[in-house]
Amino acid sequence: MHNHMKQGKYTVETFARKQNLSRQSAINTLSRLKKRGYVHVSGGGSQLRIYQISKLPQQPTNGFYDIANRYSTEKLFPLFQHRVIGRYTIEHAIIDGIRIGDARTLEATMHLFRHVTNWKRLMDLAKKHRCASEVQRLYKKARDTIKLRRMPERYK
Amino acid sequence: MINTQDQEELFKLIADYLRKDVICMAIGGTAMMFLGYKNTTKDIDLVFKTERDRLAFVHAIEQLGYKEKSLVALYDEKKRKMAGKPKVYSRGDERFDLFITTVFGYAVDFDMARIAQRVDFLGKHELIVYVVPKEELLLLKAITHREKDEEDIATIVKIEKTMNWDSIIDKAIAQRWKNPWILIDLEEAMQKLKKLTFIPSMHFDKIYKAQHKRER
Repeated sequence: MHNHMKQGKYTVETFARKQNLSRQSAINTLSRLKKRGYVHVSGGGSQLRIYQISKLPQQPTNGFYDIANRYSTEKLFPLFQHRVIGRYTIEHAIIDGIRIGDARTLEATMHLFRHVTNWKRLMDLAKKHRCASEVQRLYKKARDTIKLRRMPERYK
Repeated sequence: MINTQDQEELFKLIADYLRKDVICMAIGGTAMMFLGYKNTTKDIDLVFKTERDRLAFVHAIEQLGYKEKSLVALYDEKKRKMAGKPKVYSRGDERFDLFITTVFGYAVDFDMARIAQRVDFLGKHELIVYVVPKEELLLLKAITHREKDEEDIATIVKIEKTMNWDSIIDKAIAQRWKNPWILIDLEEAMQKLKKLTFIPSMHFDKIYKAQHKRER
């Protein structure tokens, strides 16, 4: 069913026209494809729904790039798809940002310090990944440019 | 055989049994499942950065009842004599092929900027699985040369209408000194693919030129 469908962005109307289907059949087909992971939907409510059809089933991502793009004003294009099974926190994301390490990623990572709730977890993770000094350096740089909470003295 | 969901559950379980954090690279059928090319695989192929990481992983799967198995029935004699052969562990019909840094002489790149996907399993410790990009996946399938590998290569090429053949060939050329068969294996795989997709002859010429240089 999926092979003859071209990947790309569609609305229900354009999809129905392209596949020569009625509107209801197009909705049913898109719904089936969505269940199998081939379709990602955006919009809804007052916005027109846009259906993104991909050639491979896509698992939703929930890793570093999703957190960085949610909280940072500087948006990032993912270098890789990042999925996490388990509890992934802001503190994990800061460490990953430092490990990825390019200038733009570090800029985006600075904004995550605003949302740190557990400084102990952050410093424990930093020690584990041997980047405690980088975390402190990035925090200092972030504090010069962004309004941030103060890091507890014992971690400075 | 193991399907995508069972594979993820298994990795999550292993993460709970690890004694340290482990980073590994998924290749072969496992990588194909992560990337969505297929739903089931016979074996889970993983490459570790260090012997210590592999030991920690083996320790965890041994606790789950996996036992080491001989390579005799799985790989031909040529492969069994090569450096970079795996350790194989199985339990029922699930099997792990565990390599360290190289896969039959092909050095795997752990650079985060060159992976296609990263899946973190956060249990008692972290099991971080990197997934190779499709080009490297195809090249590795061409090297390992098992009966299912040809089918898998065909599956990738059928889905991906455009492949970056230059990147695949460059990777093979970069590793031709450590792995003398790599260009021959790749050329053989590409010849078979000509029935399925158009591969410009300049790519074959590039392989012949590099192989000729190597032989000289």
